[in-house]
Amino acid sequence: MKKLFMFFILALGFVFIVNTAWAGGGGGPPKNMLKGVFVKVNDDRTADFKVDGTGEIKHLVLTEQVDIKEIPLERKVLVSLITEEKTHKITNKVKSVSIMFMDLTPSKIIALLVVGLIGGLLSGFIGSGGAFVLTPSMMSLGVPGAVAVASNMCHKFPKAMVGAYKRWKYGQADIKLGLFMAATAIIGVQIGIQIQKYILNHWGNAGSNLYVSLMFVIVLVVVGIYVFLDAYKLAKGGKEAETTKIAKKLQSINLPPMIHFKTAGIKISVWFTIPVGVATGMLAATIAVGGFIGVPGLIYVIGASAMVASATELVIAFVMGMWGSIQWGLSGLIDIRLTLLILAASLIGVQLGALGTTYVKDYMIKIVMGAVMLIVAVSRGAKIPGYLADLGLRAPLDPGTASLLNSVSFWALVAALGTAGIIISAAMIRGMLQARQGTN
Amino acid sequence: MKKQKAKGPLAIKTLIFGALSGFLYYLVFSNEEWVTTTYTMGGWHTIYPVGTALVFSFVHGTFASNLLSLLGIEAKSSH
Repeated sequence: MKKLFMFFILALGFVFIVNTAWAGGGGGPPKNMLKGVFVKVNDDRTADFKVDGTGEIKHLVLTEQVDIKEIPLERKVLVSLITEEKTHKITNKVKSVSIMFMDLTPSKIIALLVVGLIGGLLSGFIGSGGAFVLTPSMMSLGVPGAVAVASNMCHKFPKAMVGAYKRWKYGQADIKLGLFMAATAIIGVQIGIQIQKYILNHWGNAGSNLYVSLMFVIVLVVVGIYVFLDAYKLAKGGKEAETTKIAKKLQSINLPPMIHFKTAGIKISVWFTIPVGVATGMLAATIAVGGFIGVPGLIYVIGASAMVASATELVIAFVMGMWGSIQWGLSGLIDIRLTLLILAASLIGVQLGALGTTYVKDYMIKIVMGAVMLIVAVSRGAKIPGYLADLGLRAPLDPGTASLLNSVSFWALVAALGTAGIIISAAMIRGMLQARQGTN
Repeated sequence: MKKQKAKGPLAIKTLIFGALSGFLYYLVFSNEEWVTTTYTMGGWHTIYPVGTALVFSFVHGTFASNLLSLLGIEAKSSH
């Protein structure tokens, strides 16, 4: 019965994967986007555009927002079309054109390597991370948003795989729990996408942006403070982490089918793991970092240790990243050069982070996680006034304030990554030195 | 002592995987034009980026793992 149930849950997740993969929907690119090359640009602000894949020639109208001189011919571009406000119909009017494959200069390559290395370190240590800073970093280097998300996703799953393997070898990752969570998370992603679509249809792009940022800030502040306080208490008292009351209570309820997760050392009813998985997926679909709810959920609701939770999150990230990559690949938006450059450094970072966990106490993971969540919340919070203005809920921002808020948002992300990098490295070096002294 | 004995073969392994990884990077970046076009055709071509990412994660991941061991950065042994 238990096995049958497990099979059912995993099969359900798989059906979702195949279904959305073939439908080409899900976490794919926005529908108002075209990929292809401009064949001809006419003087009357119209252009012939050859759509990638089908080879169909479309006649497009270039709006005032587009500079005709800057339109490259015979070079792959992403074209964003204007959507009619009331009917949501996609017009043939071009809002913006961006070159799909940026030229890689040495400084851009170095930037990608550095962010990749620290992102990997964070990922190996707390189970997720990197993604929230990689996408905006790539965009600020001139990569179109959709390509940045896609290339980032494609780097996430190999990195998570290597990290998960390492931490499984250290006896920290619970593969069964990870697969279980991933299958339910995929269901959560579907729900998340439906909510997003609903908001997009009713309140447009600005509403959607505001919703994403609000979710980001609320979840990150509430969960971040909780994780941080918990870690602070543990660090101060020097005590070992205890299973929370909620987790103990849930584990004691005998609601079949009960499942035993060996590495995590937990026996719990499947019904209680499902909400955590679904919430992880929903958050992943909304803010692209499911781990910010997945890891705390595994710790405080399911009752795993921070060590096992962060390791298991890597298994979840692998499954979901692979699924996402197939989706973005179906739409042909992955710039493999970017993916591989980030991987070059992040595969080193992730293994460094993973082995770093063997030198630190359980609460160190919570400290890093809490700190990162709170700083990232500042970054997203800085975006909210702008979105409120877009929706007409407040007076428009003057250009000075807008650019200040934008740089606050970007630099907060850099600070999050930097802080995490420093805490992890310091804790690891201290642990290694202590271990060495112990053996001598 | 044991660790030092193992360093020789480990160095060779690191070198082999490092060279292999470097060669793969060279292959991709010297054929940039073809790679960026083919990999972004969409549809079943999704196999290209996903497959490439997997191959690199294995080759480059093994190299990175060996490199860290060679540098003496290893996980704390629980025993």
